[in-house]
Formats: sequence, C-alpha cells, structure tokens
Amino acid sequence: MLAEIAVILIRGIAIGALFSVVAMSFNIVHNASGIFNFAQGNIFILGGFGAYLLANGAGLGVWIPALILVACLVGALTAFQGWITLLPLRTSTEQDSWLISTVSVSVILAAGLLLIYGPFAYTVSGPLPGYRIFGVRTPGAFFLAIVAMFAWYFALRWFLNRTLTGLAISALSQDMEAARAAGIPVRKLQLLAFGISGMIAGSVGFAVAPIITVSPDAGLRYVLSGFIAAVVGGIGNNTGTLIGGPLVGVVSMLTAYKIGGAYQDLALLLVLAVILMFWPQGLFGRAAARRV
Amino acid sequence: MTATSATPATNPAKGSSFNSDRQQLMLGAVLILGTGLLPSLLGNAYWEHTFHLVNVYIAVSILQNFLFIDAGQKSFGQGAILGLGAYGFAIAFGLHGWGFLLATLVGVLAASVGGLLFALPALRVQGFHLGFVTMSAAIVFPQLLTQMSGLTRGINGISVSLPDLAAKPFLGLSWLTLLLTLVPIAALVLHYIIRNSRLGRRMRIAAESPEAARSLGIMPGGMRALAFVIASALTGLLGVLYVPAVGFISPQGFLLDLSFIFFFAVVVGGRGQLLGPIIGVWIIFILPSVLLVQLVEYKPLVYGILTLAAVLVFPDGIVGSFEAARRKRTQKGGGEGGFRLAAVNSALASLTPVPASTSTEPVVRVRGVTKRFGEVTAIEGIDLDVMPGEIHGLVGANGSGKTSLLNVLSGFTPASEGRYWLKGRDVTRRSAAQIGGMGIGRTFQNPRVFPFFSVWNNIRVGLDARRTPLDPQMQALADGFARTMAEDSPALLSHGQRRLLEVVRVLMKDSDLVLFDEPAAGLSPQEREDFGVLVRHLSRRLGKAVILVEHDLDLVWGIADRITVLETGRVVASGTPADLARDPAVQHLFVGGDHA
Repeated sequence: MLAEIAVILIRGIAIGALFSVVAMSFNIVHNASGIFNFAQGNIFILGGFGAYLLANGAGLGVWIPALILVACLVGALTAFQGWITLLPLRTSTEQDSWLISTVSVSVILAAGLLLIYGPFAYTVSGPLPGYRIFGVRTPGAFFLAIVAMFAWYFALRWFLNRTLTGLAISALSQDMEAARAAGIPVRKLQLLAFGISGMIAGSVGFAVAPIITVSPDAGLRYVLSGFIAAVVGGIGNNTGTLIGGPLVGVVSMLTAYKIGGAYQDLALLLVLAVILMFWPQGLFGRAAARRV
Repeated sequence: MTATSATPATNPAKGSSFNSDRQQLMLGAVLILGTGLLPSLLGNAYWEHTFHLVNVYIAVSILQNFLFIDAGQKSFGQGAILGLGAYGFAIAFGLHGWGFLLATLVGVLAASVGGLLFALPALRVQGFHLGFVTMSAAIVFPQLLTQMSGLTRGINGISVSLPDLAAKPFLGLSWLTLLLTLVPIAALVLHYIIRNSRLGRRMRIAAESPEAARSLGIMPGGMRALAFVIASALTGLLGVLYVPAVGFISPQGFLLDLSFIFFFAVVVGGRGQLLGPIIGVWIIFILPSVLLVQLVEYKPLVYGILTLAAVLVFPDGIVGSFEAARRKRTQKGGGEGGFRLAAVNSALASLTPVPASTSTEPVVRVRGVTKRFGEVTAIEGIDLDVMPGEIHGLVGANGSGKTSLLNVLSGFTPASEGRYWLKGRDVTRRSAAQIGGMGIGRTFQNPRVFPFFSVWNNIRVGLDARRTPLDPQMQALADGFARTMAEDSPALLSHGQRRLLEVVRVLMKDSDLVLFDEPAAGLSPQEREDFGVLVRHLSRRLGKAVILVEHDLDLVWGIADRITVLETGRVVASGTPADLARDPAVQHLFVGGDHA
C-alpha cells in the first residue's frame, strides 16, 4: 500500500516534471510573442527520436555530446519554425494565424515521423542505471526528469533575470509596443525565445527518452499535458509550473493505477476544464487568461 | 484613408459591392450540387461514395466556419461532435432498432449536448485556451468510444445498413445522395441567413468586441452557447447521414485528424467567406484523395503542408484573397461625403421636441460610489444626479477617474462601495449587458466600428438593440442610411467620422441616458460644432440625459446644463457652467495643459 503510493508519487512527479519542462518551453515563447506553440509536444518527441538514433544504449561519453547536439539541432529547427510562424504576423491583421500555423506544423511533424518511422513506439535505453525503490525497479531517467526540471528552471531564472538579453525578453512580455519603441530588436528576441524553447524541449526529450513513448503520435499527449501544467501554474509563470507539472503528473499516474491507463486523458481533460472554469488565471497565475 | 475615390454616398449602389456573400452563396450552392449529384449521374460508384463523404465534410466545415468567424469560437473538436451524432444514431438505430426519425433525433441531441459541453468552458475562456480544451475533448472522444464497449461495441464498431436510403427514386439518384446534397446547401443558406439577421450581427459583435456587445445589451456568453448549439446540432445531423454514407463506424473514424480537416478547410478556403469551406475541402481533401489514391499515408502530411502554405501565401485563404482584392477595387463610401453629422442634425432639427420632463426622478442617481483596483482608488465617494434631458459634463485631468466612473455606471466594473440607480431601479449589481438593455447607451474612447460590417450595418446594430419601435421620423432617418450606406465600407472613414458613426449607432438604440467618452477627440472644428448640435438635439428634442466626458472645455461649457469636476477620484465641484467658471477650485483646469 505504502509502496504503491510511493511509486505513484515518484513516477507521477517525474512524469509531471516533464510536463513542467514542456510548460516552461511554452512560457518563454508565449511571454516573448503571445504565441502558444501547438507543435511543442512534437518538438519534445523529436528529442526522444534523437536519443533513439544517436545514443541508444550508449555510454556517457557519447550520450553527453549527443545530448548537446540534439538540443542545438532541435533548438535551431524550432527557431526556424518560429521564423515561419512570425512571417505572416508582420503583414496580416489576422492575429490568430499563429494558431493555425503552429497546429499545422504539429500535424506535419507527426505525419513526417509516421512516414519515416511507422506507427511504432521505440524503446531507448539510457546511460543511467535503474534503482530499486520500495521493491519496484525505477529507471534512472525518472530522477533525471526531476533534475532536468530544476536545472532548466534555475537556468531560465538566471537568464531571464540576470542577463541583458533575458531581461529584454522579459520586457517583451510586459509591453511589446513599449519594448519596440525603446529600440529592442523584438523579432530577433522572439526567434531566440523559440530557439531556447526548442532547446529545452529537445534536450529533455532526449534525456528522458527511456521513460517516454517515442512514437510519432505521442507529441499530442505532451502538448496537452504541458498546456494543462502551464494553465494550472498560471500561463507565463515558470514557478507555477513547478507545482502544476507534478500535480498533473500525479493525477495522471493515479488515474492510470486506480482506474486504467485508457482514462488518463479523460482525467486530464477534467482537470483542465475545472481549472479553467474556476481559476482561469491558474492556481498561481498572473497573466489574464480570461478575455471577456 | 482620405478621399481618393470620393464616390458620393448618394449614388445608387449597383449590385452589392460591400461584400460578395450573395454571389458566393449562389456559386457555393452550385458547387455543392455538382459534387453531390454529378458522380451519381455519371454512374461511378467509387466517386459517388467518395463525394458523399466530401459533401458531409463540406457541410461540417461550413458550420465550423460559422462557429469560428461569425461566433468567434475556435473549436478543434467538431470531429467529435460529428462522431456524437453518428454514434447516437447508430446505437439507437443499429443496435436498439429504434425508428429512423427517432434515432436521428438521438444523434442530433447527442451532438447538441456535446456542443453545450464545449460552450461551458467557452463561457470562461477564449482563444487558444478554448482550442486546447476542445482539442483534448477530440482526443478523449475516440478513447471513450473504445472504453465504453458495452454501449458502443468498442473497437469492433457498428455496421448499419439502410436500404431505404439507397433506393433511387429518380434519375439514378438515391435518397442518400439527395439528402447529402440538400443538407449541405441548407447549411450554406442557413449560414447566409443567420449572418444577415439581427441574431447574426449581434453574435459577430459579441465575438469581436465583448464590451461593445454588452453595451448593446448582448450577453456574449449566451451568444457563444447558442452558436455552439446551432453548429453542433446540425453537425450532429450530418453525423447521422455520415453513417449510411460509410456504412460502418468505429472509434478510428473519429480521431483528432478529422477535426483538423474541418478546421484546415476553413482556413485554406478563407476564414469567414461563405464559399471558403467548399473550396477548402476541395483542396484539403479532394486533391490528396485524387492525387494520392495509392498513398493514403501521405494525406496528413499533405494537408498539413497545404494549410501552412496557405497561411503563408494567402493569409486570408484562397477565397478570402480574391475577396480582399475585389473589395479593394470596388469599395466606396469614403471622403468628405462619406459620413456627415449635418444630415443627421437637420433630420433631428425637424423633430417635434418631447415636452420638457416635469419628473423629479433623476435618470441616474449615484450615491457614495467608490472603485478600487487593488491598492489604487480610482474614484471615491461619488454622488451624482442627472435629470431627464440634462446634459451633464464630466471634466477633470487625465487619471481623475472620469472613465472609471463611466465603466462603473455601464456595469463593466462593479463598484467597490456605494450604490446607483437607473430610473429609480437599483442597478449596482447588474451586469453590463442588463444595464445596456435597460436604457444606457455609450461610446468608447476607441470607437468600436466593425470593418466587416457596411456603414449601414454598423449603425443598424444600434437599431438591433432596440426593445421599443422607432419613432416614425427617426425611422425615416434610418431608412435614409439604409438606402445610401448599405454598401459603404467603414475602412474609408476618417477617425472623426468613425466617432460620429458610433454616436449615431447609440442614437438609434433606445436609451434614456447616453454616456459619451471623449467623443470630440480627433474631430475637426466643424465636426465638433456638429457634434455639439447633435448633443443638444439628443437632450432637447429626444429628451435623453447625456453624460459627457470631455477634455474640450469650450465644448463642455458651451453645451452642458451642469458640470461635475473630478480630481483624483473625488468630486471637487459641481454646478452650472456659469457658476463653475467663477469657482476658484476649477480655475486651474483652464490654464492647465488640458485646455484644448
């Protein structure tokens, strides 16, 4: 009984840490541009495919350089996606074109992966050994997930509060027009934000590949869970995601253990609906989600 | 923006030129007839089957277009709604042997309930939040179908055969073919009718500017729920027809991709264009189906790429780009003749004045109203009475709380303390929409002029908000606008003209109290003069009370009956213009930077 609770908690928090990471990668783009990248889940999965291709079963000597390489590649790809997404915003008055272009990119990525790799889930083995906790073998990647969450959280905190570039990105989230008027290169910073969000998602997707579903259609689960984690924590608020992610992860695990894996998505949908109905600004929110 | 193509507004319109909705409706109906009937007439069974599906997709996309643009609701879950209709019907008809009509009703009801469930979060959140909620619902839907196998037969699916619908009454056309031609046309016609109705105009305003909507007595949440139910009930009906069209349904048929097809079809074809979804389905669905018959697995990739390309190359969609080009060529209604208050004023001048009110009951009575935003007190302890027919000026420096007071009075932000009454009724806790419906009209600092409405329709939404019939003379004035401005584009109006347009909209609405928020900003001297005359008419001829927030002190002192001066959220002086001009507490206003 106690062992089961411990397993649910550890796995839930670890899976939730991934949602928190996806949420942070949402936040940086959203704060810099107001855009919510629907393709973020697929980008996360790209990291997993990177691990499958470059570092499956490899030792740390290969794994670490491969991690850096994949993080940079996925970051560059996401920056390119950002460039495409921002193109029509310059001319079109229709501000929701980003919604459509990021959704279509998510469809393209999933369909592309499906064409190349087929509808299969790939298993990846990582460099860390598993540990026995309460008699249950727990892969090392679960702990890596939690470490990754805190690592990116503090890295982002330092970057956004302590560096000039980071402060400029934070300024964009306060008032884009004022930032533009102050001579801040808005478009470049937005592309940088896209790139960083890709690095976050790609690096963590790579690192935790052993415990995620590396399959073409898995991106949707992470984009939704990450979104819910962001909403629970308050969109734009990275500190909130530290609670929001693990909360969503534990609910998800609890549902899987107690009711059945097939109801995980339903449980998350209900969490999302309840949060948006009663706390549209998130439990720890600051940005206004409600536009009425 | 100025008079380049100064076509006199009185020119008789040749055909409709503001938009091409009517032409698109005709063309769309013809195209649906073509995809619906041609394959059967040519006797090709494979294409007949495929185009049955195409017509279902076209109709669902038409409804998605209505929901997305006319009601402003971004739903990524219409595939699940279609599935609810299909499963509701198939379970009732195929598994329980209910009659066709009863089973159809079950399908439509199931889909409507689904639409209501979508509308629930839409009451609270909008934009991409709603997109995510509906998208997760669309992901969960097939999972639930699989899990609830007792009800739905799970992954085994349900086969339904409907030989009656396959019967061919004439010309080799089956009932199914006829239904799948007529229902999509009906959906298109319905879209056109709703869009050109009072309901449709109010729905669109609720989608584009919730504040303007509430000031016109519209409850945006109600409009959203209604739009979801209309779109979903009809999508459910198409779900019912989808069952005989495919013969077999299973959870795999209602994955998220299906919802994306409808959404993408609208975007590629042209958001908001009546013809858009039809062209969109042709490109997104027919093109890959024809070109990639052997390569089914490439389809999602192709429609993803097509959509992305459309957003980049044709941001307004295919039909939307044509329409934008056509509109640029033919739009009219700008220039100095475009919109003038002088005509309105001369019509008002001929009205018989309402007898001066002998009532001692103020139209609005404010007692001790305070509004705090967190630590900041915007207004504090405001007392104010405005009598029928009175023009009441509200002046003060920027940040003195004028607009905050207007926002409390019109119900946009609840008062922190104090109460206020409208025509003797306590409305302190009423919503903005209720207050808007009770006889307050207002304008905004940024005029809410809607580019997708013609100039006349922009005025007409004021008439739409009326609960009492219009005075015959005012009706004549409105008819004049309808004749001369029905095809004029507001895009060509100057800033001053846009302000005046909004004022005339409020004039058309029945209101005992009109709130003007800096109406003279950006007006030319002539326009200011005309505006002053108009406010006089509102008060003297129509008996309306007016609260005028304005920085142009000459204007205020020229027309106001009484004036209240605000300073840091408090009333510092109140009285007639003559009294106040001598009041030392007010003197500094005239020498400060505010004096326009």
